[in-house]
Amino acid sequence: MRRRAALGGLLAATLLTPRASALASLLHVSRRPSDTFTLPNGLEVVVLPSSRAPIVTQLLVYRVGSADETYGRTGIAHFLEHMMFKGTGVLAASEFSRTVARNGGRDNAFTGFDMTGYHQTIAPDRLELVMRMEADRMVNLRILESELRPEREVVLEERRMRVDNVPSAMLDEAAREQLFGLHKPYAMPTAGYADDVKRLGVGDLSAFYRRFYAPNNAVLIVAGDTTTEAVHKLAEKHYGPVPARAIVPRKRPAEGGAGLPQRVTRADVRVPEPRWSRDFLAPSYRAGETRHAHALQVLTRLFGGSETSRLSRALVAQDKIALSAYSGYGPTALGLTSFEITVQPMRGRSVAEVETAVGNQMKRVLDGDVTAQEVERAQNQLLASAIYSQDSLASGTRLYANALSTGGSIAELDDWPRAIAAVRPNDVVAAARHIWRDEGAVTSLLTPAEGWK
Amino acid sequence: MTVLRCMALALGLALAASRAEAIEIKEITTPLGIKAWLVEDSSTPVVALSFSFASGSSSDPENGQGLTSLTASLLTDGAGPLDAQAFKQRQEDASVGLGFGASLENVTGSLRLLSAHRDEAFELLRLAVTEPRFDSDRIEQRRSQIIVGLSQADQRPASVAQRTMMAAVFAGHPYAANSSGVRENLPTVTQQQIRDRAASVLTRNGLIVTAVGDIDAAELSRLLDRAFGGLPAGAPRPELPIWTPPTKPQSVNVDRPVPQSSVLIALPAIPRDDPDWHAAVVLAHILGGGQQSRLFTEVREKRGLAYSVSSALRTQRNASLLVVATGSASERVADSLRVIKAELVRIREGVTDQELAEAKTYLSGSMALLLDSSSSVANLLHSLQVDRQPRDYLDRRAALIGAVKAEDVRRVARRILREEAMTTVVVGKPAGAIAEP
Repeated sequence: MRRRAALGGLLAATLLTPRASALASLLHVSRRPSDTFTLPNGLEVVVLPSSRAPIVTQLLVYRVGSADETYGRTGIAHFLEHMMFKGTGVLAASEFSRTVARNGGRDNAFTGFDMTGYHQTIAPDRLELVMRMEADRMVNLRILESELRPEREVVLEERRMRVDNVPSAMLDEAAREQLFGLHKPYAMPTAGYADDVKRLGVGDLSAFYRRFYAPNNAVLIVAGDTTTEAVHKLAEKHYGPVPARAIVPRKRPAEGGAGLPQRVTRADVRVPEPRWSRDFLAPSYRAGETRHAHALQVLTRLFGGSETSRLSRALVAQDKIALSAYSGYGPTALGLTSFEITVQPMRGRSVAEVETAVGNQMKRVLDGDVTAQEVERAQNQLLASAIYSQDSLASGTRLYANALSTGGSIAELDDWPRAIAAVRPNDVVAAARHIWRDEGAVTSLLTPAEGWK
Repeated sequence: MTVLRCMALALGLALAASRAEAIEIKEITTPLGIKAWLVEDSSTPVVALSFSFASGSSSDPENGQGLTSLTASLLTDGAGPLDAQAFKQRQEDASVGLGFGASLENVTGSLRLLSAHRDEAFELLRLAVTEPRFDSDRIEQRRSQIIVGLSQADQRPASVAQRTMMAAVFAGHPYAANSSGVRENLPTVTQQQIRDRAASVLTRNGLIVTAVGDIDAAELSRLLDRAFGGLPAGAPRPELPIWTPPTKPQSVNVDRPVPQSSVLIALPAIPRDDPDWHAAVVLAHILGGGQQSRLFTEVREKRGLAYSVSSALRTQRNASLLVVATGSASERVADSLRVIKAELVRIREGVTDQELAEAKTYLSGSMALLLDSSSSVANLLHSLQVDRQPRDYLDRRAALIGAVKAEDVRRVARRILREEAMTTVVVGKPAGAIAEP
């Protein structure tokens, strides 16, 4: 176990004396303390004590997601997440959530490309109850054909709700196939292709469960009204006896899709107004030119992260080409990630007008026109949003889960404010030059049935 | 799992009692007479403010549908000496989150700030509510955004179902959100109409404020007077017309080319101050309030007919509804409806002692789960104030829920779950016969 000192003013004082006071004052705000330890079976544990409300959240995240599936067998990780709420040798089918509810708590789960998480929020004196049950289903899950059959329909309904009923989600699926390469890990939808989900059986899910669900392939995060000592004792008692398994390290392709740039169009009778997007392959904290990862967060903030960003100012406020214009970038992934630009055009504006306007803004950055002042504003916004996220138990635990399940460390999390504050304008320009290239781009057009010119 | 269950139930009572003292709510009155609830909590250097004015879109003037929403959306688009870009720049430089929206009965606002920037945050709030500019280029832009937003919502089955349900249940009443009226009227709304609407809505009469976080009573009092003190007192809001609930079953199908149909079933419920209110809360929970509920078990777990199925009470000032919501593949909508309607009939026969006990444990403890962040606490307490609940409601809620008996649930089920008052909405391309109510 290791007690971590919170990030204090020392770093800010030594590294950032010449910078503006706003930035320094944000750096002075300390992170909440966290404790970490690892059980002998390899389970990593993070405790984030907070006594503001009489509740505690347990989040167990496995280092496995839909990107660990193979083409033809997509949707396993998500389907398995659903089946984890069925029975174990100890617990009858569906008793997990019922027990949480009858104890005044709530539970749910999520599946992503790189991770699968299970979480409950409940009164502190029920932490042992949910730990016992979570440890139980880590090793004792029983997947029965009779329970799998109706649940398959539920999974397909979830896909219909999130994807098939939503034209933009269907286009996003198609765009990812081009960006990351057809049949490649990040190109396959987390919900799975419907035809695959219809074919998945008990054997597929059981094999996946045995391969990935183990204490040495998981991170436990407990936040809220509890102590490290209490969590340590309970974790040893309930997770401690679960044996480790041999885990094969996960791999992600070093390359994106072939034959880029590409354009993808979806014309759909359900689309009333067109949408223009361009996605670029980008490095994450773990893959590609990772040294750009912090500068890219500053870039997306100043380029398209708010209503005063460059895209908004130029396309929305000044030229009135767009109703909104945004960019987004998420560095937390095991493999490559994407930098996305999305424009909702003003009615009557053409594709060409949008592309020219976005292109002009990109060119300014690529030509080196990035000021120290706007970089600092972006840094302030990023650091402030990190403080706001500490205000919530749920987003605090997710932050740790995302990092630790994709190869990150707590040291990196602690260092994040300093790394963001250290970004200089020329770093932002270099990062933009690295990713804004035709050979890493997919443009996607969502249009009404009659198209968009 | 029997042993576990007994233990849990026994502990449940103690739980309900201990949680009541979870948060301490102070009520403050500023020198200028503005009232607010305050929860002080300095564990994070953040303050969240949730507030509302006493008029919303249901009191849009005739031929001015959408006016209140448009007005609310423009409040952060420039104020005083600051144009929209300058205002937003000030917001971002101090990391101040400030936003407004219109619900049926309120214009609501939220302010989130880092405690180091309290003065700047409340100054921006003051500017937004007392000196909004309503510059014409921003009006044009917001107008377009709202109209495009409406066209997009018109293609989302769940939004269409919601709008259709409100129009059917509240036909002839201002609660019937009239989005085609908005689309017709919004293009003709003038800057003067917006100014007039802002002047009539943004008043101290009916202003409700909740603050949570790193701020004390004296500081809050000073800053509230600064932000809201310049507002006129205003007139009491006019009462809305009385709503006469539907007395005949109705079924509305809206055709949309989607693989999954969206379904809503609405029943007139009971007022928030009815003695049976907490029995109705228990009823809605047992029927469709979570993964242990009857609807979840029958529709999702046993039959796989839907991913999401739920029931919940929804209240307005002069009306309340019990709404069941689900979504099923078009060829299975008829099956889902059959199963749901059978459950609506079955629960009129009453609930089991175990269901009742489990619902009580959950409902007593679940309020604490909403205390996740400063903003969520502020929103929860603000909604209690809007519902005109006393400050100690959270303390008393467990006892009120605990006192509900099986016969109360049965009685309230028979009061609410009446086939003759049922409105069924299906949006999609359902196959098979679904028209019979």
